[in-house]
Amino acid sequence: MTSPSETALRVRNLSKIYRHNNPFKRHREAALQPLDLDVPSHQAFGLIGLNGAGKTTLVKILLGLLTPTTGSVEVLGGSIGSRVIRARVGYLPELPYFPRQMTARELLAYYGYLYGLRGKGLTARVEEILEIVRLQKASGYRIAEYSKGMQQRVGIAQALIGKPELILCDEPVTGLDPVGYREVREIFLELKRTGTTLFFNTHVLSEVEKICDWVGVLHEGVLRRVARVSEVMAEKLEMDYWVELTGVAADRLQGFAHAETAARSGGFQVSGRELSGVLGDLSARGITVSGVRPLSSLVESFFLRTIGRESDLMFTNRREARS
Amino acid sequence: MSRVAAVAWFSFRELVRSKLLVVWLLAVGLLCGVAYLLAYLSYGEPLRIFMDLGLAGLEAAGLVVLLLELAVTYNTDMEQKAVFLQLTKPLTRGEYLLGRVVGFWMVNCLVLLGMTLFIGGFIAFHHGQYPLFWVAAALVMIQMFLLTTLGLAYQMIATSMVGTVLFTFFTSILGHTMSQIRWALERKPDPILRFLLNGTYYLLPNLEVFNLKDRLYDPTLTTAALPWGDIALYAFGYSFAAFLVGWWALEKREFH
Repeated sequence: MTSPSETALRVRNLSKIYRHNNPFKRHREAALQPLDLDVPSHQAFGLIGLNGAGKTTLVKILLGLLTPTTGSVEVLGGSIGSRVIRARVGYLPELPYFPRQMTARELLAYYGYLYGLRGKGLTARVEEILEIVRLQKASGYRIAEYSKGMQQRVGIAQALIGKPELILCDEPVTGLDPVGYREVREIFLELKRTGTTLFFNTHVLSEVEKICDWVGVLHEGVLRRVARVSEVMAEKLEMDYWVELTGVAADRLQGFAHAETAARSGGFQVSGRELSGVLGDLSARGITVSGVRPLSSLVESFFLRTIGRESDLMFTNRREARS
Repeated sequence: MSRVAAVAWFSFRELVRSKLLVVWLLAVGLLCGVAYLLAYLSYGEPLRIFMDLGLAGLEAAGLVVLLLELAVTYNTDMEQKAVFLQLTKPLTRGEYLLGRVVGFWMVNCLVLLGMTLFIGGFIAFHHGQYPLFWVAAALVMIQMFLLTTLGLAYQMIATSMVGTVLFTFFTSILGHTMSQIRWALERKPDPILRFLLNGTYYLLPNLEVFNLKDRLYDPTLTTAALPWGDIALYAFGYSFAAFLVGWWALEKREFH
């Protein structure tokens, strides 16, 4: 995908097997099957997968919190075990937990200190970060008084405090409301503009579409596919659409393939491949189309097809169409 | 070293603000009050009763504070996973553990110092100077450093908060029975019991080294006569070994 100097993360033959040593139930569970992955520098990579797919395991191995069973990981050209490399990496866990009696300002000062910031430089950086995550006014309150969204923003702040070149995030928008989603997205887009490499796990597929340059699908511990988001966009013919018609006389629909649904629901579902042909047919019949809307996001469609669950997509689409 | 100091200071503030410790400080106040009352009501030797109760209270307070620290931080660090955010920073696991040891001990010393000043001040006010009391209190603090290091080593090894607290508690209890264990070993018990007693005797710390309260009234004992070098060497050597075990366990630990 890229040359070594342009690679922020290089994973080779990485696998992880959990050994459960409960005396009553000893078993091995393969969380990750051997996988190779390159994440280019200065780009955003979104890793998507179902619950239990192995996404968090992968991030923890990348951070050195778990040891791989086989394989190797190279982060920013070195080992994550090195202090120098860790000083260039930020981490945002899913639902970060902080000591509840500390304030956001104290926490950020502490984490900044661990990154080697001192004195006025540390104070200035804490203020800068508090402004970015919009927590200046609440920075003196104890974490116990924060909402879940505010705690998530402290999590983002601690990940940014050391000006990292690479940020690893595990479900960064978990627990956020729609405004919070938007704010986090803006922060990530700004980080991308400044050249920071982003790697994140998420369930929120629409965020991948809006933020990421690359998308990977991890399913049952297997990295099924890695693609550029722009390539996924080009596969939009695979999507399904809802075509909305209003006030159409029944006689005009005679012989039309979707006549029955259109008459009953005022519209019909059509696949991307058929869309242009169907629109042409409607135009030839003199029927005005009042709207065409996609029934899933492109990444969602890509994801479900990659894991072989197109049927779920069709089910969702039918349900949406009915509603 | 500055990162160790940062972790220590952070741990200190985190624990001092914990409501559990506030509750415990109130209990310590109550304990001192009871000691004072018993001494006041006793006939004959109020100094002895107050000093014995005070020193026993110091040890109990130090142990309970340590157990609370271990319980609180096991919950936040391991179960709530707050430790992830620290270990993924440019901080080695050894620095983290050492910072934790120092931070915990600072909190312990804060509580013990408050109690020591109260009890020592009371003794000085009513009965004149009694230097061996201050020495005994200092030895309790040194003992707490050893137990803190060991407790944190257990925390790195154990897979539950209960395990950490119980191991530390029983280590403290057994550590004060080393002369009895040696006595039992001299009686040549059966092989299984001998194996268990030997394991306890050689692996667990001998906390009697730090216990002066049974010897306070020995007329030959003076501050200068205490084997300070041996005591310091034992405390440092055992703590260092416990720290190495904890560090090794933390390096090997998988954070699921």
